Amino acid sequence: MSHPQKLQEKIDAYLMQLRRSLGELPPEEVSEILREIRSHILERAEAGGGLTDERLVAILKALGRPEDIAPLYQADALMTRARGSMSPGAVMRGVHRWATLSAGGLALFIMGIAGYGAAFGLALAGLGKIIAPNHVGAWVGPNTSFVIGVTGDPGARDVLGWWLVPVGLAGGSILLIATTHALRWALRFARLRRPTGSPTA
Amino acid sequence: MVIDAGAGAPEKWETQVRKGWLELAILASLWGERLYGLDIIRRLETHSDLLMAEGTIYPILGRLKRDGWIDSKWVESEAGHPRKYYWLTPAGRHRAVAMARYARTFLGTIGSLIEPLLAKEER
Repeated sequence: MSHPQKLQEKIDAYLMQLRRSLGELPPEEVSEILREIRSHILERAEAGGGLTDERLVAILKALGRPEDIAPLYQADALMTRARGSMSPGAVMRGVHRWATLSAGGLALFIMGIAGYGAAFGLALAGLGKIIAPNHVGAWVGPNTSFVIGVTGDPGARDVLGWWLVPVGLAGGSILLIATTHALRWALRFARLRRPTGSPTA
Repeated sequence: MVIDAGAGAPEKWETQVRKGWLELAILASLWGERLYGLDIIRRLETHSDLLMAEGTIYPILGRLKRDGWIDSKWVESEAGHPRKYYWLTPAGRHRAVAMARYARTFLGTIGSLIEPLLAKEER
């Protein structure tokens, strides 16, 4: 038999570990999860006619290790948030989670990097044209088929000129939004293909 | 029953199968009444051997709720601490029925397919 306080500390230590493992989730979600797990532990203890040291060890063992349970919450929560978000960061976190689960997710992750990378590059070229108009441009030349940015080809001609500023900034923004929409659309299918999916999937 | 592949740990295949069926088992356990987490676990323990670690059921309940199949509410209990009760939403009831239909068809077809394997084993 241990002191109730010592058992309480053991429960708190388990929940603290779970809280740490839940890291990325919003605080209100974390406190809801901890509340339910604490309720489970107390419920199990009562059903067993009171809390002893051995009982608590058995209860926590049956629950599973916090570091094993936490990722299950994260995979679901990240995916849900990614599907409803317009933030490239949130969307890519969801895609990244899917990428760890399937080849389709990995392909989408690579497409996401390419889409956002191109959007960022276009916007950067637009800004670069303002800062260094003689070096940044949309180049076409004898040795260059088409390059947006900086070229080492002395014969290349800037075909867009100052138009690169609005084209780069607007094109980059449109590509950013389009990539986000495309990834969110693809993520709708992630749930169906996940290993935890239902038999109807 | 846990299939032992020799190494002592359940096969990956079996883990996948369990995960797939668990969602239906949870929805089915909520068919008749509102239950809190431990109630659902007890029901699953009595009627199936799908659950591995008890803690894994709570993330699944969270997802089913986000998907709109179930809803939940904290209720004060005589036990002195609140319990989080879950129940099926109308959409969840439809989904549970659709899944059950699929499961019955699935079990029927796969059952006839694997029957010869088992018959050979018993001989």
